[in-house]
Amino acid sequence: MFFHIVLERNMQLHPRHFGRNLREHLVSKLMKDVEGTCSGRHGFVVAITGVDSIGKGLIRDGTGFVTFPVKYQCVVFRPFKGEILEAVVTMVNKMGFFAEAGPVQIFVSNHLIPDDMEFQSGDMPNYTTSDGSVKIQKDSEVRLKIIGTRVDATEIFCIGTIKDDFLGVINDPTAV
Amino acid sequence: MPRRRDEDEEVEDDDYEDQYDEEEEEDDRSSRKRKRSDFIDDAAEEDDDEEEDDDDDEDYGGGGGGGRRPKPKKRGSQFFDLEAQVDSDEDEEEEEGEDDFIVDGGADIPDEDDGRRMHRRPLLSREDEQEDVEALERRIQARYARSSHTEYDEETTDVEQQALLPSVRDPKLWMVKCAIGREREAAVCLMQKCIDRGPEMQIRSAVALDHLKNYIYVEADKEAHVKEACKGLRNIYSQKVMLVPIREMTDVLSVESKAIDLSRDTWVRMKIGNYKGDLAKVVDVDNVRQRVTVKLIPRIDLPALANKLEGRDVAKKKPFVPPPRFMNVDEARELHIRVERRRDQMTGDYFENIGGMLFKDGFLYKNVSMKSISTQNIKPTFDELEKFRSPGENGENDIASLSTLFANRKKGHFMKGDAVIVIKGDLKNLKGWVEKVDEENVHIRPEMKGLPKTLAVNQKELCKYFEPGNHVKVVSGTQEGATGMVVKVEQHVLIILSDTTKEHIHYSITCFPQIRVFADDVVESSEVTTGITKIGDYELHDLVLLDNNSFGVVIRVESEAFQVLKGVPDRPEVALVKLREIKCKLEKKSNVQDKNKNTVSVKDVVRILEGSCKGKQGPVEHIFRGILFIYDRHHLEHAGFICAKATSCVVVGGSRANGGRNGDAYSRFDSLRTPPRIPQSPRRFPRGGPPVDYGGRHRGGRGRHDTLIGATVKIRQGPDKGCKGRVLEVKGQSVRVELEARMKVVTVDRSIISDNVEVSTPYRDAPRYGMGSETPMHPSRTPLHPYMTPMRDAGATPIHDGMRTPMRDRAWNPYTPMSPPRDNWEDGNPASWGTSPQYQPGSPPSRAYEAPTPGSGWANTPGGNYSEAGTPRDSSSGYANAPSPYLPSTPGGQPMTPNSASYLPGTPGGQPMTPGTGGLDVMSPVIGSDNEGPWFMPDILVKVHRPGEDSVGVIREVLPDGSCKVILGSSGNGETITSLPNDIEIVPPRKNDKIKIMGGAQRGATGKLIGVDGTDGIVKVDDTLDVKILDMVILAKLAQP
Repeated sequence: MFFHIVLERNMQLHPRHFGRNLREHLVSKLMKDVEGTCSGRHGFVVAITGVDSIGKGLIRDGTGFVTFPVKYQCVVFRPFKGEILEAVVTMVNKMGFFAEAGPVQIFVSNHLIPDDMEFQSGDMPNYTTSDGSVKIQKDSEVRLKIIGTRVDATEIFCIGTIKDDFLGVINDPTAV
Repeated sequence: MPRRRDEDEEVEDDDYEDQYDEEEEEDDRSSRKRKRSDFIDDAAEEDDDEEEDDDDDEDYGGGGGGGRRPKPKKRGSQFFDLEAQVDSDEDEEEEEGEDDFIVDGGADIPDEDDGRRMHRRPLLSREDEQEDVEALERRIQARYARSSHTEYDEETTDVEQQALLPSVRDPKLWMVKCAIGREREAAVCLMQKCIDRGPEMQIRSAVALDHLKNYIYVEADKEAHVKEACKGLRNIYSQKVMLVPIREMTDVLSVESKAIDLSRDTWVRMKIGNYKGDLAKVVDVDNVRQRVTVKLIPRIDLPALANKLEGRDVAKKKPFVPPPRFMNVDEARELHIRVERRRDQMTGDYFENIGGMLFKDGFLYKNVSMKSISTQNIKPTFDELEKFRSPGENGENDIASLSTLFANRKKGHFMKGDAVIVIKGDLKNLKGWVEKVDEENVHIRPEMKGLPKTLAVNQKELCKYFEPGNHVKVVSGTQEGATGMVVKVEQHVLIILSDTTKEHIHYSITCFPQIRVFADDVVESSEVTTGITKIGDYELHDLVLLDNNSFGVVIRVESEAFQVLKGVPDRPEVALVKLREIKCKLEKKSNVQDKNKNTVSVKDVVRILEGSCKGKQGPVEHIFRGILFIYDRHHLEHAGFICAKATSCVVVGGSRANGGRNGDAYSRFDSLRTPPRIPQSPRRFPRGGPPVDYGGRHRGGRGRHDTLIGATVKIRQGPDKGCKGRVLEVKGQSVRVELEARMKVVTVDRSIISDNVEVSTPYRDAPRYGMGSETPMHPSRTPLHPYMTPMRDAGATPIHDGMRTPMRDRAWNPYTPMSPPRDNWEDGNPASWGTSPQYQPGSPPSRAYEAPTPGSGWANTPGGNYSEAGTPRDSSSGYANAPSPYLPSTPGGQPMTPNSASYLPGTPGGQPMTPGTGGLDVMSPVIGSDNEGPWFMPDILVKVHRPGEDSVGVIREVLPDGSCKVILGSSGNGETITSLPNDIEIVPPRKNDKIKIMGGAQRGATGKLIGVDGTDGIVKVDDTLDVKILDMVILAKLAQP
């Protein structure tokens, strides 16, 4: 799920940036530092949408660096248990398939794929129903439900299922 | 103890034993026994009388003044006596039976008969027994109904029991020797005698214990009474009568308490015989006879059995126990073993009867004594359980057997807060949480509303409950320590996706085929661990050298062993090795050439072009003997590691660790090479007036070379201790730091700078500092020159670009969108600082490079340095000049993780934000990956590039600034020139050439190249005559004198 929230961060800025463009420097540094990171609490920081306030800078002793408390708005993405997501299949193997929804990697185990879908190995490994009408392979788009998440320092890993109503392939690249 | 009662019991006991004993043993004993059983009734009657007597006795006796013991005591011993005898009976018999069964039964008794007996006996005795038991029950009822102590068992307490212990006033117990194997007979004879003689016999009881051979016990007040009683009995040798000390008297007749709750489908293990240790499943329990029928996987040597059945000679004792194997009836028939198919009258099932053994579905059904099986702490492994699933069985009753598995689980299994589900009884399928655990009962808080707050449930009826998505940790079993997410709960099987390996751990409570561990062994956990990742010095993902000189990467650490993916490129070969089978960890960082002769070093991303893993791509984790270990996170097997030959891979996106070392780069950038690369110490430049290109080069080189560059570090040791500065340059082990407070540049050892206090710029946008814009690197064979000059910048450390990220093109790259001009940062850095006049480099730098490469360069823990972040700067140290910045480098110096610090700024206390996907490995610089690389030495043959011509020469002298005096001509007789290291290329030695080692511990040594293996040369060192395998890069051809 996406959230638009306000976060705060202390930015250190090298004295060389002091000047007219201080704010720009600060913002660009903030973007660079923050966007794409992941925290267990908020999930992935997708984008900074605005900077609310930049507090008074505090010169750090000795270094000349200045610390600014910066409040910024950002869009974060955090997957939740039970959430329905649409994701793109990135890899299929006999244990299941991996899909990605933005930065989040989701694994769908073969136990969580409907029983009528069977793994077909080969050049393009895929899961296919017995009548061949539905096929999950690389680049397929699937709708899945997250049943578990694990949050690392650097990534969020999810386990999903497509064994439920209205879940499964939503767009098959080969069908087009 | 009133002897009559005792005798009575004994008779009864013997009596029903007789009923089946008689059938099998047609010896003269039976007639005697028959006779004996005739008077049983009398005895019983008599006993009843006695009973009344006893009661009277007690009425007046109270404290048991006479020779008699208080009554409860008698009852107690009686009880024990009976049980002990019955038990032991069975035991003895069973042992006989078993022997017959398997090993040497055929020796004296015809097997046919044996089989018949085995088969018939239960049927017959069952009925008889039934009667017998009923009769016994009636009698006991009759006997004890009047007694005030009927509920002896329930009422007894410890104190009462204590009071029953024998005292000095009680009759003594005497141990009398008797004929071996005739213990029972002797006891019965004594009883007979008592009955015959009546009151003149003064002994009180006689006991034969089955576990005690050669002796019987006689209870009497005096030794003389014993001798008297034993007189004339041929089985008893009464010459020697020993007194049992009072303290030991109870032990004689106490029986091990064994409240075994054996029920059908329990898993047990055999304790004795051929099947010792084998897992068995109880199919029938006969509590009266203390026998169980178990289902086993037969260990039968069919040919031997055939021989035996045909009466041929069989070796008495086979040297080995046949492996467990399902019985194949057809196979048996082929060996002309008679297989009868019979219907069991009790169950209606058909059994194959082979030589007296019953088989069904390939399993052996065996009737054994309860004593010969162990029921406690049975932990069947998955393999065993899987074997037990015969083709016909569909696992329906697995749940039942599951519950029996729980019966014996260890204590402390449930913890407060565990989610549990009731699996048995009325409350079946009720979920709840553990509130409290008593001995046996677990108090659970049921999930369902309308129930009492807590319910006490027997722990055997509970099972842990997990839901998909739970994060769990395996707490015992082979997968112990691993954590993962529950993917699926199939009844009692949990399928877990392990955090580390992304392998499925099948993990279960019952015996489904996927079983790997029991659910019992799982707890819910928020912990993300990989299980154990280290044994001894070896860690997951280490490259190790094994016993047999093979090598591989540790891909899994099990409780006692490692799984190692061997360095065999053709096919993945995984070996399970024990700690002691590992010789050492391989930490050598070397380079190899890929298919296109590009240099590959660790962390380079390569693509595999050939072999089974064709098309896979990933960073190189280890290089050894021309074999690459590539980590592909999409590769699910072998923990993502792929082993491939270097020559079947290509570097993707250029080598990161040594940008332009290869020939291509050389030629490409040749024109860019700048003449001013004159090996002058920067200090010679007038301050503020460095050559223009110096600055540019400086920057370029710096930019590419290490993420450390530009980082703000603190010096931890030496004269500049406490000073903070920016890293200008990293050269091998040395780091040039521009001290902020002093306007001066010092060179210090890398290990003495503290972890980055701050890294000002993550140079992630480095591509443009990549190949095109930057200073050309060195020809492929001469990656060495810059090492010589402390002041020389640029290419010094081919470690530079932690920032060349394989992932950077991914859509999700946090760093792509913004690219603040890096130059800004650099511009703020006056180049002149680098040429500060005060700067006096001390000793020649080469020593610094002697140090072995510090341990594996990249830190595994990105978070490792966070604590350093807020360290207030200590700027107290004065301007004392650095006399010798070249502190000897510390081997194994602290590995730097510049990456982590880059996220620190300004988050004191707060959780530092972490880099996005893939950021980590990319950022990790391979520190020191090349420091042990070669540099020039005198007497080696080199190729000198000069404008217009290339010629061969011999280095005569290496000047302190890194340039070399080279005498042209292969034998060193031409003109002498001074060349830059840049222009010099080592002539790679060929087989049988004399060589000089230019790097590593053996630096300076000469030797002979006796073979070349990929990128490794096999060198026989002259001094020690050792044969070494060294990287070809550090070998140079020695000039012939």
